[in-house]
Amino acid sequence: MIQANQVCKSFGNIQAVNQVDLTIRSGEVFGLIGSNGAGKSTFLRMLCGVYRPDSGKLTIDEEEVYENVTLKKRCFYISDDQYFLNNSTPEEMKNYYRMFYENFDQERFHKLMKGFDLNPQRKIRTFSKGMKKQVSVICGICTGVDYLFCDETFDGLDPVARQAVKSLFAEDVAERKLTPIIASHNLRELEDICDHVGLLHKGGILLSQDLEELKLGIHKMQCAFTTPKTATDFQGIEIVHIQQRGSLYTITAKGNEEEIRKHIQNMDPIFYEILPLTLEEIFINETEVAGYDIKKLIF
Amino acid sequence: MISIDYRSGKSIYEQIADEFEHLISQGILESDSQLPSVRQLAVELSINPNTIQKAYSELENRGLIYSIRGKGNFVAAESESLKQKKLQQFYKNLTELIQEAHRSGIDEEEIRKALMAHLKK
Repeated sequence: MIQANQVCKSFGNIQAVNQVDLTIRSGEVFGLIGSNGAGKSTFLRMLCGVYRPDSGKLTIDEEEVYENVTLKKRCFYISDDQYFLNNSTPEEMKNYYRMFYENFDQERFHKLMKGFDLNPQRKIRTFSKGMKKQVSVICGICTGVDYLFCDETFDGLDPVARQAVKSLFAEDVAERKLTPIIASHNLRELEDICDHVGLLHKGGILLSQDLEELKLGIHKMQCAFTTPKTATDFQGIEIVHIQQRGSLYTITAKGNEEEIRKHIQNMDPIFYEILPLTLEEIFINETEVAGYDIKKLIF
Repeated sequence: MISIDYRSGKSIYEQIADEFEHLISQGILESDSQLPSVRQLAVELSINPNTIQKAYSELENRGLIYSIRGKGNFVAAESESLKQKKLQQFYKNLTELIQEAHRSGIDEEEIRKALMAHLKK
């Protein structure tokens, strides 16, 4: 289990991570989402012990990570801009990682390299961006660690490779309770693999919730009324966003679907329908409430 | 066997549970036959195994499958509750269809005629 308690980190006068509280249970797939510069990568780097938090407490299985060698052996970090030794091949990188990760599964490594059609003897610098990502993922999975930190790992992978990587994660989560923590802003990508998402914005955590609950707690409706409605008519439901075009209202509201449905029915609509909200829409809504709306600044 | 619609408002575990329910109620999956393992299905669909586990628990709650520790999940024999559920679903569908017909201005006589024609087949 990973626990963050009031974790802060700043670089000069830039507050990258600000009082983050977070709990990640073992064996669940955690998605870390956030706007650009929200502090996702900084948070991951603290998790794997690259940075030390300025204040607050960050523990994995109740131990602090920073300079903790035994704990670090159970973590693998796939950085956004991965580092490979100069002029190295995947085979050499594997041997390098074997020095730190005693349980490195070499057999699986070769099997996966073959499966992904990568030549372990070819210089990594001649690989494409996506192929480099694949090498990192394969190395990470084969180390047999308990925690895998992935920073924008699906970025640059083609759809087939993405499905394959997800299946790899799924296999290890099922088999040996791997805990992947995936930072991304490709929300569609996270939707089908994460149990739990944490939303970061400007260094702080906006929400951390079960994906299911998150989706069940917010709804989008389209409804039309014969008479114009004002805000007071909607009192009783928690409106996040409302848009009106003629007699057609598009409403985003929080709360229980049944209650919202009842409320709208009581207002005697000509028609109404409840539309599903994607994680992307939830993300936009939540950050908008927190004052993040670039479109407004540009147009 | 199972396909997932990511644009649907239904959660993934519900979709999986519903698809299995459909397969079971149609008799495509026979009673006492084994369901794919959590790991197998997770790898096949590239989704989180915890989601599959949740779908299976849901199916167990609905009384459609039973699990044997260390062996896996199996389709339960058709129960009274499943029959009841099918009937309820049928009434619900019918009600919606009739409401839809009313909205479209199809009168009672028309509905009755269509219904009778289908029943005779």
